[in-house]
Amino acid sequence: MQTTTTSAAPPDSERSIQARDLTRIYRVGSVSVTGIEGVNLSVPAGQMVVLKGESGSGKSTLLSLLAGLDRLTHGALTVAGRDLSAPSDTELTTFRRHAVGMVFQAFNLLPTLTVLENACLPALLAGANPDTAHTKASDLLSWLGLNDRLDHRPSQLSGGEMQRTAIARALINDPGIILADEPTGNLDSHNARKVIALLADLNREFDRTVVVATHSDLVDPFATMVLALQDGRVAS
Amino acid sequence: MTQSMQTILNGLRLFRWFTLRHLRRRLLRTLAVLVGIALGAAVFTSVRLAVQATLTAYSNSMAHITGTSDLSVVRPGGRVPDGLVVDLLRHPAVQSASPLLSAYVRPAHQETPFLLLGLDPVLDRNLRRWRLRDPQAGPSADWSALMTHPYTMVIGDGLAEHFGWQPGQATPLIHGQRTAEFRVIDILAADGVALVEGGRIAVCDIATFQEFTGLHGQADWIDLRLNGTASPESATEIAARLPPGIQLRSPTARSESGRGMIRAYQLSLTFLSFISLFVGMFLVYSLVALNAAARRRELAVMRASGASGNLLFALFVGEGAVIGLVGWLLALPISGLLVKHLLAAVSGTVSMLFVQVQVDGLTLDTWEVLLSFGVTVAVAMLAAVQPAREAMAVSPREAMAISTAASFRPALFRRLAIGGGFLLVLVYPVSQLPSPPSLSLSGYLAALLLFVGVALLAPLLLRHFGRLLKRRLQRLGGQPAALAADYLRSSGVQTAISIGALITAVALFTALVIMVHSFRTTTILWVEQSIAGDLYVRPKLAELNRFRDPLPPQVVAKLISVTDLVDLVPMRRLELDLKGHTHLFEAMDYADYTVRNRFIWLDGDPSRIAKAFQRGQGVVVSEVFANRTGLGVGDPYRIQIGDQQLDEPILGIFRDYRTRGGAVYYALTRYQERFDDVSWSGVQINVAADAENPAAVMDRIRTDLITCCGAALEMIDGRNLRRAIVQIFDETFAITTVLLLIALMVAAIGIATTLAVLVLQRRRQLNTLLAMGGSARQLRSMIFWEAGLIALVGQMAGLASGGVLSLLLIFVVNRQSFGWTFLYRVDWTTLLLAMPLIFAAALLAALPAVKLALDSAPAALLRGGTP
Repeated sequence: MQTTTTSAAPPDSERSIQARDLTRIYRVGSVSVTGIEGVNLSVPAGQMVVLKGESGSGKSTLLSLLAGLDRLTHGALTVAGRDLSAPSDTELTTFRRHAVGMVFQAFNLLPTLTVLENACLPALLAGANPDTAHTKASDLLSWLGLNDRLDHRPSQLSGGEMQRTAIARALINDPGIILADEPTGNLDSHNARKVIALLADLNREFDRTVVVATHSDLVDPFATMVLALQDGRVAS
Repeated sequence: MTQSMQTILNGLRLFRWFTLRHLRRRLLRTLAVLVGIALGAAVFTSVRLAVQATLTAYSNSMAHITGTSDLSVVRPGGRVPDGLVVDLLRHPAVQSASPLLSAYVRPAHQETPFLLLGLDPVLDRNLRRWRLRDPQAGPSADWSALMTHPYTMVIGDGLAEHFGWQPGQATPLIHGQRTAEFRVIDILAADGVALVEGGRIAVCDIATFQEFTGLHGQADWIDLRLNGTASPESATEIAARLPPGIQLRSPTARSESGRGMIRAYQLSLTFLSFISLFVGMFLVYSLVALNAAARRRELAVMRASGASGNLLFALFVGEGAVIGLVGWLLALPISGLLVKHLLAAVSGTVSMLFVQVQVDGLTLDTWEVLLSFGVTVAVAMLAAVQPAREAMAVSPREAMAISTAASFRPALFRRLAIGGGFLLVLVYPVSQLPSPPSLSLSGYLAALLLFVGVALLAPLLLRHFGRLLKRRLQRLGGQPAALAADYLRSSGVQTAISIGALITAVALFTALVIMVHSFRTTTILWVEQSIAGDLYVRPKLAELNRFRDPLPPQVVAKLISVTDLVDLVPMRRLELDLKGHTHLFEAMDYADYTVRNRFIWLDGDPSRIAKAFQRGQGVVVSEVFANRTGLGVGDPYRIQIGDQQLDEPILGIFRDYRTRGGAVYYALTRYQERFDDVSWSGVQINVAADAENPAAVMDRIRTDLITCCGAALEMIDGRNLRRAIVQIFDETFAITTVLLLIALMVAAIGIATTLAVLVLQRRRQLNTLLAMGGSARQLRSMIFWEAGLIALVGQMAGLASGGVLSLLLIFVVNRQSFGWTFLYRVDWTTLLLAMPLIFAAALLAALPAVKLALDSAPAALLRGGTP
């Protein structure tokens, strides 16, 4: 990574996670479905956390709460120094802009935007100057080996390239925490290794806290914390 | 740059990236919607421009004739003595007074009439702008020649161009029974009076006019201009000095009634043309809703990346605005083509039905252009609001899902249905609200509530329809039909709202078919019963000159001499004004009239009416007059005629479809006694029932009249007159038919787009069916069943709301706008023939959808990942 691409690591408070009795219950018609229940968690700054568990164990639910994509039913949650126990819509939007970067299994690039524009998107949404955002996104994409793909559309990229673009997008606003939901789920093993290596780099070289929800064992060697979930509860 | 400015600029950048590129990627779909909205906007714009140009031409003509006068001296039902000018000028508050005479005349051997204005060139100069053309344009005469040389005139350039007249040229002009040769002394500069009726006007000295028409010492009215020092009481003082029967009026009163009628016509055409735009609104809704539904994951990603809900709302409303803007721009050239045809049709209809108007050109009215722009963009943005609200409600959590599906929310169905039901309940009370004169605002508002209400109820209707029919359809069309019913039941609000386009178009079609049929049936009945004479005789150009000049005495004498052969129904017609309501006052003999003709009574006791009417103890009034003035049976009809007041109760109200403000009938003998006026404005001639050879009798009468005074008369065969009235009726509705066809065209685009959208939204589901062993034939069959069911629901709802709309149009809108109602008659033949055609068109519109459904390999669509 070039020195211009990221700032120095944010303060510890912006890279740590605290959860107490974290519970998310969904209502589907008259039925209640428990996503997670009574999860307690303390992640200090700079950790590489791996969330493990079967499908339906609550990994994605936990990750979406940490990413500010969803609201908890009860409990207390502080991510990157922000209280997410009962946030307003505006607070959640601001949180998603600045505090965390999210990497999805299905990449989720916008098909009408080029690689460079996709990477710039969160910066523009946060009100950044477009020139500054472009420069920063170009640097990030070069670091990720995509400098010859800047003007391509997602449909012209391989799976690995799409996921690296998504990582650039997650990093554009210099968040202290990177969250990844099955980041290798749609990749071949070669690209999967490359993506995991990148996330590990972000954690080790740039002191970002990284939380990865995955079935894969590829990330295990880099993990500093492993959290196993079962039926919505922390099993170990 | 401030942070908020940066945020706006970034928002615009995102709009370009996210919205505009997407619209470009789905070019065909976008173009179809743009064509729909452009057609709607073009119809709306061109209709408004055409009617506005007609209204402007009429208003300008009237304003140029009114000039700078502050007051007009008139004699209701007659003319004022021009000697009054001297007395008026003596009043200290009067600065200028000018008498005027006007009449439509025509050159001998030419059929085109034009307006001849007789004025005093000296007295008139302070009141009206009229001057001879620039001397540099050619040798110019002195306007004083109008006074020094009898039978001279100056003409507008429109007239010069039309007849090819040049200064110095002499031409015989005909008015009534008189013909005289006039010499053109010069052409008027294109200014003031010269612009009246598009320049088809001539001005002569009032003395010449009086001699030509035999109206010695008379003027139609005298215009006054008051001193700057005149007080508000001056008008009262002047009025008090006027002889009995002479009144003081605002100079604009003459034109107000005409303007009101054109405005009513404008509103009715605006409403009809807005329907096309309203149907286009459903197209915009379809497109934006599809984009919002198909891009749910992208929206979730945007939210997860830090986009606020408001930003997503703005992006989708902005999408509607862009469609509106581009649609409006595309509408401009289409409007340019349409407006030329509409202008001729609209001005022709206005001249035929309301007031004489000559439109010489189209002016681009800034307000009209802004209105059409505003309405088009607002309609498109409004259509985008609901999808935009759906978009802003997308949870960022959906970004983590493997696949997303459009949500189906029963609660929304109920909310929409409650809202729709509420609007429908309001239709009747709103339709009964009072409306400004001649403007049926409450009627049109009620019609709009009906359309929106039915569109909002459509989702629930579709749901129940699908549920109800599933089993029957399964028996009828197998699994594809059952799946189609199932899909409609659960397809969501978007599908149902899209059907609104069809419902609206079918409703409009049904309502107009019923209204036109009812109107036509009633008109034919009225024509047959009320205009049942064999021959009608009236002075030349009587209609244009509003029956002010009676039949020449020698004509009356000739007719009286043949009463052994024919029955005569003479009448005296005056154009009067009751509190701003211009109407026709007609004196006739009830017994003579009812030998051949019948009144179609709406109110009053017919047996009592006949007796009281013949004794002159009351008047009967037309429905139009009653509705315009608010007067009913038993109310007094008080009117000034000449120097006397007529004050008689209204005995009955009858149907009448003459358009110039309604009619009032009074007994002829009583009129002649009271007002000492034995002249006839016209006469209906009927061959006696016992005549041996009616055709020969009629030929003899014609020959006698032509020999005696043919040049002064118009003789119209009763059958031809009846045919002409029905023809005028049909021509009047030609514009309506064009507007209806365009609305149906937009609806057809709507059906095709809706079906394509339905298929596109479910490509994965459809291909899952293929993957599970469904055949292409079964898939095609399912889509056709869907198209059929959509058409069926749309037609049923459209027929029902069309029925209600027709009641609104006939009994509210027409009554408030034009003062008349019709007998309610449903044209079952047309409706029963049209419905299968619309149904077949809906099935045809499904073809692109079928092609789309079978376009992609199932595997490609079933694979996950970025679309």
